[in-house]
Amino acid sequence: MTWSEDTAEALADAGVELVAYLPDSKMDALIGEVVGDDRFETVLVSREEEAVGVLVGAWVGGNRGALLCQSSGLANTFNAISSLSVPARVPFLGVVTRRGNLGEFNIAQVPAGYNMDKLLDDVGVRNTVVSDQENLRETVSLAGETAFSTQSPYVVLLEQTVTGRKSEATK
Amino acid sequence: MTDGRANQYACTESVLDITPDAAVVSNLGVASYVLASVSDPKRARNFYQWGSMGVTTAVGLGLALSTDESVTVLDGDGSLLMSLGVLSTVARYDPDNLTVVIWANDVYGTTGGQSLQASHTDFAGIAENSGLNAVTVQDTEAFTGAYRDATESAGVTVIVCHVDPVDPDARPSFDFPYIARRARDSLTTETS
Ligand SMILES: Cc1ncc(C[n+]2csc(CCOP(=O)(O)OP(=O)(O)O)c2C)c(N)n1
Repeated sequence: MTWSEDTAEALADAGVELVAYLPDSKMDALIGEVVGDDRFETVLVSREEEAVGVLVGAWVGGNRGALLCQSSGLANTFNAISSLSVPARVPFLGVVTRRGNLGEFNIAQVPAGYNMDKLLDDVGVRNTVVSDQENLRETVSLAGETAFSTQSPYVVLLEQTVTGRKSEATK
Repeated sequence: MTDGRANQYACTESVLDITPDAAVVSNLGVASYVLASVSDPKRARNFYQWGSMGVTTAVGLGLALSTDESVTVLDGDGSLLMSLGVLSTVARYDPDNLTVVIWANDVYGTTGGQSLQASHTDFAGIAENSGLNAVTVQDTEAFTGAYRDATESAGVTVIVCHVDPVDPDARPSFDFPYIARRARDSLTTETS
């Protein structure tokens, strides 16, 4: 199975029913999996912060939700995460393509992307980094399990070594 | 009630009268304080926000997509201005059970009444051009009629309600997880 198929299965394993997302080149494969899969209802947002709101509403309505976006997009969610999801104890599962680390060519992706694990720690959101596909499905489904049972968000950061990287590095 | 503007307390009461079982997602600050002023303190389906300015309407969308009950958002004009893109998102899914009310008081009321400096901005026009039904109302009676129509019609209607700024004393519970859990329990374990 591809990394995106593994992740889509893990979302289903974790009981995720609603997926809110904003595209990214690497995330495109996973979005393609979930949009065509009738186990999931999907919501394309205009800004990733909205997705956090949508997932909070979904939880209050009885659904488990996941956020799919890139690390820059996760940076767009910080006020919503830290003034709603965390203090109201409303969980979601984040699956985020992490830029800014190994293989990164774009300096604009570095400050938030490379530091995203620490930024999440600072606002009280547990997270883990996945660097190879081997344990991907188990990691994502366990992340969902702990998010929904402890009622707090949890984010899985997928390195470019999992999702494949853009080959735009300077020659 | 000066300048023929609607009264936010009376309009919020109309929301509860017309849709007594609706889940109501209220914006941080004044919208929540007014809702707390006019609601039974035990009303479980008031999902008061204590933070996340700019995210209230998105919360209402996620909730409307996840319940069969009616969902009403009470948002602020400054908060909507912070997140206009959400109108396009709401229009993309356009759930029949969602109504969005914008309290247009022209100020950041919660933080002391500073002007929005946006009188050149037509919020209902923006909502319409984002693909939604929208209406602007200037008094309480017009609001009540528009709200009744909105809840009975298909798709989402955005009601931009011009109100005088108010400064309520009432506050919702400060226990934010309790507010969320109480709303969730009411929507997921009761049948009504
Ligand atoms: C992201 C963010 N920016 C600013 C604030 C400070 N703040 C809290 S409420 C508020 C005003 C909201 O204005 P509006 O949506 O028009 O609602 P009103 O207070 O007038 O009811 C502001 C600026 C905040 N809490 N969060």
